[in-house]
Amino acid sequence: MLVDKQRAEAYVPEQRYPLPLSSAMPDVWELWQRAKTLEWDPQTDIPWEDLHPERYSAEQLLAAQMYWSRRTWGEYGAISESPALLLRFCVERRLPDLQFFFTMRTMEEGRHAEASWLMAERLGRYFPQPQNPPTAGAVGTHGVRRIAFDPETSLEGIFASLVCAAEEILIDVFKSTVHKATNPAVRRLMELILRDEVRHIAFGWQCLDAWAPSFTPETVRNIEKAVTAMIENVEFRGYRNLWLAIEGGSATPAEIDADRISCEAGLGGNTPEDEMRVFPEFLAKIRKRMAPRGVNLPMFQHPRLGTV
Amino acid sequence: MSETSEHAARLLSAYQAQEKRFVERRFPLSFAPEVPALRELYSQAKGLRWNPETDIAWDRFDPSRYAKATCEAARRTWSRRAWSVYPGMTESTALLIRFCLESGSIGMDAKLFLSFRPSEEAKHLEVCHVLAERLGGYEPDPGEAGLARVSNQPFAQVALDGDVPVEAYIAALGALDDQLDLNLYVSHLQQSKDETVRTALRLIASDRARHVAFAWGFLDHRVPALDARGRAAVVDAVRDVLANVILAGYRNTWLLPEKSREPWLGAEEETARQGLGASSAAQERGVLRATIAQVRERFAAWKLELPRVEHAELGTI
Repeated sequence: MLVDKQRAEAYVPEQRYPLPLSSAMPDVWELWQRAKTLEWDPQTDIPWEDLHPERYSAEQLLAAQMYWSRRTWGEYGAISESPALLLRFCVERRLPDLQFFFTMRTMEEGRHAEASWLMAERLGRYFPQPQNPPTAGAVGTHGVRRIAFDPETSLEGIFASLVCAAEEILIDVFKSTVHKATNPAVRRLMELILRDEVRHIAFGWQCLDAWAPSFTPETVRNIEKAVTAMIENVEFRGYRNLWLAIEGGSATPAEIDADRISCEAGLGGNTPEDEMRVFPEFLAKIRKRMAPRGVNLPMFQHPRLGTV
Repeated sequence: MSETSEHAARLLSAYQAQEKRFVERRFPLSFAPEVPALRELYSQAKGLRWNPETDIAWDRFDPSRYAKATCEAARRTWSRRAWSVYPGMTESTALLIRFCLESGSIGMDAKLFLSFRPSEEAKHLEVCHVLAERLGGYEPDPGEAGLARVSNQPFAQVALDGDVPVEAYIAALGALDDQLDLNLYVSHLQQSKDETVRTALRLIASDRARHVAFAWGFLDHRVPALDARGRAAVVDAVRDVLANVILAGYRNTWLLPEKSREPWLGAEEETARQGLGASSAAQERGVLRATIAQVRERFAAWKLELPRVEHAELGTI
């Protein structure tokens, strides 16, 4: 398995030394330390006994099952795709703080996937796929693994698009809607996910801020391109919320409406009105935060959001 | 482009090429347990989580109780151990990605377990680093080409190599190498006298025991269904890693080429004598033989025969 391939030079020789392990980014190291003290278990740390699915109508339950199933598929991307970033950190011999922290991030995302699946199951049913599988392309992947392995794509661009954009909007929506989750089990789960994700986003911004002094015009262009692609090709295709999908894909009306119905029942999710409010605020926020680094994000056209 | 970034680009391109050989089928995405034993290991990992910073009584660790030469030896031992732990972060991550690429919508038990494992490897790495630092300073480089070469194995690339069956990879790296690593940790624990070091070793060994149980549990689930080619690949991989990696000194300093052994071997002997977290070469020799016998016996249960391997010093194993 190994020797023949090594002789044939099928594998690139590893060069790990020198292997520094001391923290060089104290803020990121602190996130790694915090993550270890804030571990939780979806099986035992959610008050499942307070879920009481029997108190909800069939329509509400179906919507919530769809919402939490789709969240599961989304979180699964962080098991299947973004761990490639850890390999990249190691290959590029990035600071140890990044490598340590990212191991926890992968574990936490796995936990979110498991928790979202459990929620759908305990609300009555987990859906293992979209009602019309062609929407899989839209809701199933953000493509991070492929670009993480691409030496032509800058790490700064991946961070800006995945962590500072895709995760930030996810959390902005969570933050602005967690109070609507009147169900105690759902509320607790959202709070726990939120607590982890806040660290993930802090990690992204801390890295970008630390790297910013060394940005070249090419790095800036890479970031602009990557964030724009994340907004247009992932968010606006309905990866997180089908209501945002510009072309609609083949999602059924029930799927598109699931977030709203679930949210109004207090079972998690958000309404189009929430998106109308939060999405422009999110874009304004990241535009403002990236501008001092020379990163200028374009205005985006969306049929329902308008020019944002 | 610097030599480092050129090497990184080559390695990334290699991963990229490997990744493109797979076609991931994500839906229908099954989450329900398929192999309860593996799901149980994932549950245990969540329940038995620990924190190197708070679960080890560092304030009770007093290096000043030891002679300067002992501390020097132990810091070297724990530095060498850190180098052997580090690859685990990338290897288990690469294996997780392989599962996602290959098994697509199934295999969630293994994926959840593997989503956890890199964080455990990182905790072990932190422990090794803290111990080396407290004993006088972590050494970031072996400074010796032979040791560097033996410990720089491309196992993360092997994990993503579609030509290597995942069962073969897990048999070689999980059932053999992880098992040896666990047995060595247990031996170090038995030899250790320092309370803090013992706690550190016990915590690491408890995680390692789960990693090994995962490998055996996974193989138990998959090997019976393998065809003759798959079974041969498992045996070949284990023999290859045993003969060319383990017996070349990947885990055991006394197996390194003679000119590459010092000062590491002397350091481990002194660390073992003083009970600071190592075993003597003689003790490790016993662990190695016992591990190979253990692996051979378990393979025999699947009617897989691990061939004898010749070694210049150890003879036929």
